[in-house]
Amino acid sequence: MRNKAMLIVAAFVIAAASLPLFAGPYFLSVFNTIFVYMSLALTWDIMLRTGQLSYGTAGLFGLGAYASALLVAKAGLNPLVSIAAGGAFAGLLAFFLGFGVLRLRKIYFSITTLALTTVFSVIIRNLPRLTGGASGTVLPRALFNGDPGKNYWMIYCLALAVIAISVWLSKSKTHYAINAIRNDEITARSSGIDVFKYLLFIFVLTSTIQGVIGAFYAQQYAFVQPEATFSMNFLLLPLAMALVGGVYSTIGPVVGAVLLGLVSEYLKLIMPYGHLIVYGIIIVLVVLFMPQGITRAFAKLFTRKMQVGGVDSASLRD
Amino acid sequence: MLAAASKKQYLFIALLVIAAIVIGFWEPHALIYGIQRGSLYAVIALPLALILGILGVLNLAHGEFLTVGMYATFVLFSRFGVDPMLSTVPVTLLLAVVGVAVYLLTIKHVLKAGHLSQLLITFGISLVISELIKSIYTTQPRGVFTTYSYSSTTLAGIRFGTYEFLYLLIAVAVLVGLQLFLKKTRLGQATFAVGQNPRGASIVGINVSFVYLFVFGLSIAIVGLASVFMVPRVSIFPGAGTPYTMKSFALTAMAGLGNLNGILLAGIALGIFEAVVNAIPGGSGWSDVVFFGVLILVIMTRAIREGRR
Amino acid sequence: MPVLETRGLEKRFGGLLAVRDLSFSASRGEILGIIGPNGAGKTTVINLVAGIFPETSGQIYFKGQEINKLSTHERNHLGIARTFQSVRPLDHFTALENVMIGALFGQGMHLAEAREYAYEICDLIGLKNVDRSIDNLTVLDLKKIEIGRALASKPDLLFLDELMAGLNADETAEMIEVVRELQRRQLTIIVVEHIMAVVRELTQRCIVLDGGAIIAEGSYEEVAKQERVIEAYLGKEE
Ligand SMILES: Nc1ncnc2c1ncn2[C@@H]1O[C@H](COP(=O)(O)OP(=O)(O)OP(=O)(O)O)[C@@H](O)[C@H]1O
Ligand SMILES: [Mg+2]
Repeated sequence: MRNKAMLIVAAFVIAAASLPLFAGPYFLSVFNTIFVYMSLALTWDIMLRTGQLSYGTAGLFGLGAYASALLVAKAGLNPLVSIAAGGAFAGLLAFFLGFGVLRLRKIYFSITTLALTTVFSVIIRNLPRLTGGASGTVLPRALFNGDPGKNYWMIYCLALAVIAISVWLSKSKTHYAINAIRNDEITARSSGIDVFKYLLFIFVLTSTIQGVIGAFYAQQYAFVQPEATFSMNFLLLPLAMALVGGVYSTIGPVVGAVLLGLVSEYLKLIMPYGHLIVYGIIIVLVVLFMPQGITRAFAKLFTRKMQVGGVDSASLRD
Repeated sequence: MLAAASKKQYLFIALLVIAAIVIGFWEPHALIYGIQRGSLYAVIALPLALILGILGVLNLAHGEFLTVGMYATFVLFSRFGVDPMLSTVPVTLLLAVVGVAVYLLTIKHVLKAGHLSQLLITFGISLVISELIKSIYTTQPRGVFTTYSYSSTTLAGIRFGTYEFLYLLIAVAVLVGLQLFLKKTRLGQATFAVGQNPRGASIVGINVSFVYLFVFGLSIAIVGLASVFMVPRVSIFPGAGTPYTMKSFALTAMAGLGNLNGILLAGIALGIFEAVVNAIPGGSGWSDVVFFGVLILVIMTRAIREGRR
Repeated sequence: MPVLETRGLEKRFGGLLAVRDLSFSASRGEILGIIGPNGAGKTTVINLVAGIFPETSGQIYFKGQEINKLSTHERNHLGIARTFQSVRPLDHFTALENVMIGALFGQGMHLAEAREYAYEICDLIGLKNVDRSIDNLTVLDLKKIEIGRALASKPDLLFLDELMAGLNADETAEMIEVVRELQRRQLTIIVVEHIMAVVRELTQRCIVLDGGAIIAEGSYEEVAKQERVIEAYLGKEE
């Protein structure tokens, strides 16, 4: 059983890696986007595993994007190095912000992260000499000169790394800490868990990843602009994807991202205005009727009982 | 406790008045504009605070309901030639119905589910509304022009618009109306009781689920009322109401939960502050930072004061 | 040197002084009882020592060190553990994993180590079928999880907050045995208990709280005789 599952996973990994060998540029760009959102969905979910719902995904994504783009445009940094720098910048900022926002809980944490996203974008818009202001900054060259295959491989590797991090976390001691914190913070503290330390670790980790993905996005399209780079889509889509697939798990956001990523491509074609409505409806329906997500609902059909322990049995109730 | 709170409030009023006088001399337009905008912010924030206080739900779709009201007013105007002022009653009623429907279909089912579900579902609703509007009316901005909304007057050599003083009037009317409702009517007292202690209220025989339904419907109706009066002065597009969710939360956080009077004060204070920032050369782009900066600051100080562990 | 000592401890909730001028100590290997009518402030004392919320005034010394400024998890690392009056198990964890939490974070063990240790603790307290979800556990098992998690952090001082409440006679007897076993291991235990038979059985010394203050102190037999104590109970309880 276990070996069979490993084989299936390996088959997927290899098939996805070899996509550029036979797929055209359109198909590659669809999956490129899916991997971007998949990585963000995983980071959003990892933060949620601590019980904190972040609306700041788009903000740290955007900061990473800007940091990397400006380092290339103004300081002539190597684009690949700048992607790492974008992540480092987002992570560092998250570290300092964490001392404030991680004292907050529930709606106060969520709304503050949302407010921070706006603050970041407004600040960037208001520093035209550095950032190009509202019209943004265009980079001289796109990453890998815009080669769709190389860009695909790059984001594919990044997404794999994020998946690996998520799996590793769910098997680590940290998993026990953050799950306990989400369950009952008082019990967690009384059992010796340094709640702040773990929240900060997860916040910095997820923010760094968001920054890296944002930086990659900026380098790939050689372009940053406040409206586009801090777009709510970078919050909304990952959130919907994680929810649909099933939160508090690795498989959930991955499956959700592929599913919704494909659906959204189709919708974009038939509905030029307002195709995001589908995401809104999905979020509402999932919360109301299937808070455990598709993957668990599906698993339940086959195994009849839910696996016990950790994130796998968690529902959305707090 | 209560006495201390109101003492602080008087201090705040005193400071506000002093600041207003100073600003009135330095830049009278900023003062007038600040009071007008601030009152509007307060009208919109009151229903958000009501839902948060009574139902315990932060409605992230708050601003989108405002957008719905604007488009309803716009449609009545452009299709049937109804003057916005005459739309007051139908749009307010329409929004009450929309509010009740949304409550029954969604909010009602997550009241016990916890804050994560509530945050997610209202976020989803906000998206459904704004995208629905986008798919019907596209993103093209619309407007409703009326002559009276640009009327102005000159006082002591200062020329300023008069229409937006209506916001102050409405803010006071809504505030007084809400206070009277909560203190003098049976349903209002029940609402107050539910806000204090829902379980206790249900034990003494209050129909808690009706109170929730009523409060949500009433709140969205007030949002509708506000939207009607905004229409003659703002450009209408699918995201027109969106920023008001955060602004409303900023005022609510500043006033403290359950302090309705404080919302009007906070609104005017922030309105003036924002107008002053706008009046500073090169400052206009930063006014959003004012709101969100204050919001973050207020939340932080509250958290730090309450949360020493 | 006492394991725990408080000096002039006070806690105010708004207008209510829940704990007032409380000075007491507990020495190594002792089982100290804290009794008193409902609302006397017993749980609040535990919360203060555990650092759940800050005291209004007064000092807390643990193994000779002032711990007022330490946060809850730091106090746990120093050796203070507690159970909760209304059990607070962690959902989505098995019974064993609940106990593991204490070993993982109270003692800083690795996963494999903590698992072994948690099995040992479960053995010690007689918790069976530990790999189950906690969804349908009995009250007794839930209480054992509380103890297990606290013990797994290897404390020097253990608070047991109304451990026997809701248990039947047999279960109570079983729990008393568990506590005795812990005492044999030189743990300092402070029991908060409403069931007087248990207090008499277990404790060498009791302090009686009423309205947040100590009204009597001594062996159970001594304090139970005192008029003030009887009044405090009769006045408040039906
Ligand atoms: N977090 C809190 N906020 C406000 N008041 C509190 C809080 N915790 C306890 N109190 C009040 O402090 C007083 C003492 O409560 P405490 O729980 O310590 O009593 P207790 O002796 O444990 O009672 P019981 O036997 O019922 O458990 C009570 O009046 C209670 O209402
Ligand atoms: Mg108690």
